[in-house]
Amino acid sequence: MENQPNIETQVKVTAAPKKKIGLMKIFTPWLFLLPAIVILTVFLVIPILEAFQWSLLDYKIIAGTGEFVGLENFKEIFSDDKFWQAFWNTILFLVIVLPLNIFLPMILAVLVNQAVKGVGVFRVLYYLPVVTPMVVAALMWKMLYSQSGVISEFLMWIGVFDKQSNLLVQSSTALTAVAMITVWKGLGYYMIMYLAGLQSIPKDVYESASIDGASSLQKFWKITVPMLIPSITLVSVLTIIGGLKVFEEIALTTGGGPAGATTTLVMYIYDKFNNLDVSIASAAGMVLLILAIGASLLQMKLTKQREDDLRT
Amino acid sequence: MKSETLRKKILLYLVMVLITVITVGPFLITLFMGLKSPGEGIYDGILPQDPTMVNFTDAFEKAHFGTYFINTFLVTVLAVPLNLLFCSLAAYPLARMNFKGRGIALALIISTMMVPFQLYMAPLFQIAGELGLRNTHLGLVILQVATAFGIFLMRQAFLRVPKELEESAHLDGANKFQVWLLVALPLVKPTLITLAIYTFTFTWGDYLWPLLNTTESSMYTLSIGLAQLSQNFDGSNMKLISAASILTTIPTLIIFIWLQKYFVSGQTDGAVKG
Repeated sequence: MENQPNIETQVKVTAAPKKKIGLMKIFTPWLFLLPAIVILTVFLVIPILEAFQWSLLDYKIIAGTGEFVGLENFKEIFSDDKFWQAFWNTILFLVIVLPLNIFLPMILAVLVNQAVKGVGVFRVLYYLPVVTPMVVAALMWKMLYSQSGVISEFLMWIGVFDKQSNLLVQSSTALTAVAMITVWKGLGYYMIMYLAGLQSIPKDVYESASIDGASSLQKFWKITVPMLIPSITLVSVLTIIGGLKVFEEIALTTGGGPAGATTTLVMYIYDKFNNLDVSIASAAGMVLLILAIGASLLQMKLTKQREDDLRT
Repeated sequence: MKSETLRKKILLYLVMVLITVITVGPFLITLFMGLKSPGEGIYDGILPQDPTMVNFTDAFEKAHFGTYFINTFLVTVLAVPLNLLFCSLAAYPLARMNFKGRGIALALIISTMMVPFQLYMAPLFQIAGELGLRNTHLGLVILQVATAFGIFLMRQAFLRVPKELEESAHLDGANKFQVWLLVALPLVKPTLITLAIYTFTFTWGDYLWPLLNTTESSMYTLSIGLAQLSQNFDGSNMKLISAASILTTIPTLIIFIWLQKYFVSGQTDGAVKG
């Protein structure tokens, strides 16, 4: 590379001796990268590698050492009923959130994509939950869910309940109740993603469908939904990756209860960490990582095309 | 025909308003709860009968929210500019220079993006302790000083701008650093703002890391202070929690309304964050 002076190096030839140019050319990119690399190494890469290591050790965080135990930690979590409960709760949580995250924001996007006055205001109002601190969102909903709260009153009014009830304290409804907080928080975020997708659909497709006498509903199912497939896959993958990491909605409303009904993998890891069982926490974290990698690989595969387009 | 479209329009607005009740309603209920006077029952209707600011002043005077505000503000003010600086610096050679190790560096950075924080929080907790970062503002900033997500986002932005301007600046004798600062950065300003918004909202609302890394109440951020306050989640405390929740949200709200076009423009740069 040093022997192929391009335009940039030719400019510098006039200013610096030839040997220095080669070194400069090697070092310059790394100088740009240096601060980020140092920070990411210390606070990201090393902790990740240590977590890998701890998952194979019997690590004591106070002593700062641990013996190698091989896959014992994994054997322990895989024979722990609570781990499996957390695992299936995580899956169930995704199963509840996924269809809602796919359809509700899509409907919102279609609405705010209409050419009528004031849609801009509605976009902003729908996005509001996204910028709200998660702790605030969790506490607001905890209040709404409370025994005498708005949701309980509303469900009594429409006849779902015959007495005041808190959805968060019943094990049959708790996971769905916390999932609703996640859905509410993400509505605007995914709406924007769909909006970008909608804006790339050519208008004449709709026009010719109208001429053929298609109804609004037909147009939605026959044109909008199929044309939004790339957005739907993106939203799905992001929902899975985000849903795996859900913490505040659960920690601050149910704390994982009642009777573990809302204990997800993240809550399981957090509990183990609190008990200083960091090796068990690391092993469970590895399971979480594998699930996240699966979802990320899927996304990478789907977005690779776009990336390649940008590079040329 | 005309009445048909009018009816459709009215229906559209009706549905949009109904959805607004769901997205904005919780904020209003919380605000009204925070405005209720000490004697008022918390479930006696949604609207406050005798509105008062006493819960809001109590948040500062009795619940130390002033301290939490200063802590959160300091952490955010440190995190945002450092994140923009280090991420845009690191992203530039990854987008624009050919050098050995570029592919590996890029692959490494992108692959760390999919690692859940909960996997490495325990080792990070230990490292922060060893480096003397426990209960410090700097300790709360470390997660956001440089992020793989930020580098990725900025690299995408640099890839999108045409090379010609930078090349002609090189011909004029500018060095790489000058080209980055004076030519490339101004071209990616919208993405810088997007990244600033992400870093701001994340840092302002972050809960798990401050929860692990702060043990002294003098170092609490708003999220931690609020969570602590909510440990006593009964009627007597509900108005204070509500007022404090609204106070915690106001700064993000201001930023959001100020820069809303960057949030809701339909730009999906941040799609990878998840």
